[in-house]
Amino acid sequence: MRRHLRLFLTAARFDLIEHARNRLATVLVALFIPSWISLAHAVIPSRTVTFRLRATGRLLEPAGNQITQITGAINAVTLITGFMMFAVTFNGGRFDRRLAMAGYPRVHLVLAKTTSLTLASATIAAYATAVIHIAWSPRQPVALAAALFCGAMTYGALGVVFGSLLRREVEGMFALVMTSLVDVGLQSPLASGGTGSAAVRLLPTYGTMQAATAAGFTRTLPPGELAVQILWFAGAALLGLLAFHRRTRDALTARPAVRLPWPPGRRQPVRPARATSAPR
Amino acid sequence: MRHAYGRREVLRGVDLLLRPGVLAGIVGENGAGKSTLLKILSGELRPQRGTLRHAGRFGYCPQDVVINDALTVRQHLEFFRVARGLPDLRHAGDVMDALRLTEYADERAGLLSGGTRQKLNLTLALMHDPQVLLLDEPYQGFDWDTYQRFWDLAARLRDAGRSVLVVSHLAYDADRLDESWRLQDGVLHPGTAVPA
Repeated sequence: MRRHLRLFLTAARFDLIEHARNRLATVLVALFIPSWISLAHAVIPSRTVTFRLRATGRLLEPAGNQITQITGAINAVTLITGFMMFAVTFNGGRFDRRLAMAGYPRVHLVLAKTTSLTLASATIAAYATAVIHIAWSPRQPVALAAALFCGAMTYGALGVVFGSLLRREVEGMFALVMTSLVDVGLQSPLASGGTGSAAVRLLPTYGTMQAATAAGFTRTLPPGELAVQILWFAGAALLGLLAFHRRTRDALTARPAVRLPWPPGRRQPVRPARATSAPR
Repeated sequence: MRHAYGRREVLRGVDLLLRPGVLAGIVGENGAGKSTLLKILSGELRPQRGTLRHAGRFGYCPQDVVINDALTVRQHLEFFRVARGLPDLRHAGDVMDALRLTEYADERAGLLSGGTRQKLNLTLALMHDPQVLLLDEPYQGFDWDTYQRFWDLAARLRDAGRSVLVVSHLAYDADRLDESWRLQDGVLHPGTAVPA
């Protein structure tokens, strides 16, 4: 038990150090979140926007700048956690593999990464909620923070997926920004007036948008929408796990996923590759 | 063993036995398949055909420096000490002293020079006193003194009964080796008759 705890704590400590040394992410958290949320409040007109919240069916009439602060906060927290996790996954893939092949259990590495994503998401979501709170008082600030947290976790997991699959840094940043642009843009009540299209239910932060809007302007919280968001996180995390497993596997111990009757490009059946392993 | 990338067959039947207490080398031109062979020997890559057996714990130093720029040298050693379940860093300290890396213990890897990063890359491969050492161009970026110290260290490890396999595209070091092969056309040939 102590060994497992030591393995987990060591990996979590070094993972957090790596995140803390990501200066761009730190600057984005410190400056981008308050700037974006404050500008949204100052620049967007305060006249009311009428739209129907899908989750509750209620007609809402919030101030335009307040609903923009919520969509802006979702945009900011998801992009920042997505970027943070993309950066560590993209840059650290081979290092993780070296650690795993040196004997570090991959379960502990994954748990450590999940822990640092959880801490980062919680901190950023609480910070964004506090910044919104300076301008006006959301009806349910804790629920608003929880909704932002779930969205941040989802994009963090998507960052891991992009970091594992894409080959160039610019591809990952483009994928994250475009995903967020389409995702939040199509759902924004300001732009769509609360579109009636069912397609928005499939977007990655649908649950977060519905729960955050309900938390901001009503006294009810739609638990089903948060559950949808958690499902999105679970799906993205599963993809991230599969990618991590594939990238860190040891050819000396791993069995091929599909055993071909003969190697690619050969007609004759041959003896399959075999290897034995020893501790490294 | 055999291995191909698409239709390009890189290894066409390599047989290699690395005995204890031997300092061996494989040389070959760029793209001859040396790194592919070492990746297979280390478990990074699965051969399409062939059998591989390791009789003891081994250390692999990849050609590219695989370290974490955000962590210090000391943090790297601690991370891998826990990974390998080592009680202490005694052997790592010896390797660091031999390579003159100790003075950089508290420096972040991202701020180290190319040669010093390679020293850390090598130390991570040797810190658990492996019985078999697989080293892919391990002295890239070393200055002349460090290069000499590396060979002294390799010879000491060989004398202590370790198997050391060094892969290089140069043949300068042939006289330092007990056994050597040339990788050409996907097959190992005895000797090092390759232009340096």
